[in-house]
Amino acid sequence: MGIQWWQILLLTLYAGYQICDELTINSSAGSAVFAGFISGVIMGDMKTGLMIGGAMQLTVLGVGTFGGSSRIDANSGTVLATAFSVGLGMNQNQAISAIAVPVAALLIQTDIIARFANTFFAHRIDKLIEEHKYRAIERNYLYGAIPWALSRALPVFLALTFGGGLVNSVVSYMNSQLSWLATGLETAGAVLPAVGFAILLRYLPVKKHFPYLIIGFVLTAIFATIYAAVGALGGAVTGVAKNFTYNFAGLPMLGIALIGFGFAAIEYKRGMDKHEAAATAAPSATKQNVELDEKGEIEDDEL
Amino acid sequence: MTNSNYKLTKQDFKQINRRSLFTFQLGWNYERMQNTSYLYIMLPQIRKIYGDNTDELKQVMKNETQFFNTSNFFNTIITGTDLAIQEKEGIKSLETVSGLKVGLMGSFAAIGDSIFAALIPAIFGAIAANMAVAGNPTGVFLWVAVNIGIMYFRWRQLEFAYKEGVNLVTRMQAKLSALTDAATLLGVFMVGALVATMINIKIGTVIHLGDLNVVLQDKIDMILPKLVPAAIVGLVYWMLGRKNMTATRAIFIVLFVSIALSALGVIAKG
Repeated sequence: MGIQWWQILLLTLYAGYQICDELTINSSAGSAVFAGFISGVIMGDMKTGLMIGGAMQLTVLGVGTFGGSSRIDANSGTVLATAFSVGLGMNQNQAISAIAVPVAALLIQTDIIARFANTFFAHRIDKLIEEHKYRAIERNYLYGAIPWALSRALPVFLALTFGGGLVNSVVSYMNSQLSWLATGLETAGAVLPAVGFAILLRYLPVKKHFPYLIIGFVLTAIFATIYAAVGALGGAVTGVAKNFTYNFAGLPMLGIALIGFGFAAIEYKRGMDKHEAAATAAPSATKQNVELDEKGEIEDDEL
Repeated sequence: MTNSNYKLTKQDFKQINRRSLFTFQLGWNYERMQNTSYLYIMLPQIRKIYGDNTDELKQVMKNETQFFNTSNFFNTIITGTDLAIQEKEGIKSLETVSGLKVGLMGSFAAIGDSIFAALIPAIFGAIAANMAVAGNPTGVFLWVAVNIGIMYFRWRQLEFAYKEGVNLVTRMQAKLSALTDAATLLGVFMVGALVATMINIKIGTVIHLGDLNVVLQDKIDMILPKLVPAAIVGLVYWMLGRKNMTATRAIFIVLFVSIALSALGVIAKG
């Protein structure tokens, strides 16, 4: 099937756009799962794109842009993995482990280059301030989008243009001699979300909220097992008894999320009550404006 | 001294918001991070306040291109407060404004990162990914919808901050910390739930005792289902706490160890 030139063009444009989107308006077009969706649509196989994007999203779940540090670019990785998977018939899970993750890591380097390149424009703006050239200041500021876009678009373009043949031969080799590696990559793809969850836990106050980690896990683990077992049982019964037509759905994650939301609402109320109690009970409250309010009240009473 | 008694209008707020939403952070650089971004989104307004080609304007522009880095979800709160002060006090407020910027950027960065850069992407990313691996794009659109809601919130905060000024920062803190607390609780709960559903790995080892075949995974399921995914996450969590460990390194270690264990038949896709 191969990858068409217009597909390369569209994927390259998207790769350049997604980083700018993430920096500015943040519509979630700069997320791995969206990258999978759009590349899937461009490549003509949305399902494959979504599956790769979804898996990559889980892998980088906790990797945010904290304080402007560079992070792995799961989006460009997803774009390439989807393109090669659909275009060259690579197995999805192998594409994730063999292409998406290494590419994502490699693009940390181009991210760093973009951030360096923008120092150049910042210095030009310093000079233009001295000269009162307002238009040029604004222009040079907007030029900052160019290094950003190129840092993603260029590697994606090169990989799509020149990587196809290489990937093709690797794929055919892996499906014959290296089947152990192929299965290994597939398994690794299934383990990778664990990294995403662990990173996320590093950023969240786990020590403070650990009871809820246990509740969330055990509740879901048990329900998921029951749902799966009952579903399998139902499937077996349907095969035997013709008039048994109950429709078995999977575990609704929204329901689990709502339980969590309930706990969160309780915590929020508790936090606000505590704050209000502190504001009214303590006359020597630490916040200045609280003190002022109370003085005002006392004066009113005296009048 | 300000040259004019210029007062910011609705049009000004619109312009700042447009610039903030569509361009803030494009100039991000290693040296002073969001410094040019901060100047760019307020440049037309400080030009109106101080007048073109004045020494005051040059001084202000220099002041506003100093080091700055905060959450791009809260930056206009600082801009709004900044402009409210400069509009009233003019050039003599520069020191106040600098102090305010430095003082606020850290706390807003912390709150913004934990809610908007970690929590919301984690929750809605997980929901979207959950649906996506089943081939369903609905979650992707849901996430976009949520982010459009957040854009509205980003749009509204500027005018709010401009009107409330410094007062806002002290007053909102209690509400924000209660909200952060509740939001992180939900995050921790959801991670627990996700560990139980999204990591499909089982132990592949079968122990042969004469004629008896003991499937190890069956024994583990009798203790608690999904114990293997929980153990893997715990292990990675511990690993991330080690010195010199980065997220990228952890991902590659997990990649290689998984391939090795899979080749040995210890673990398998469940």
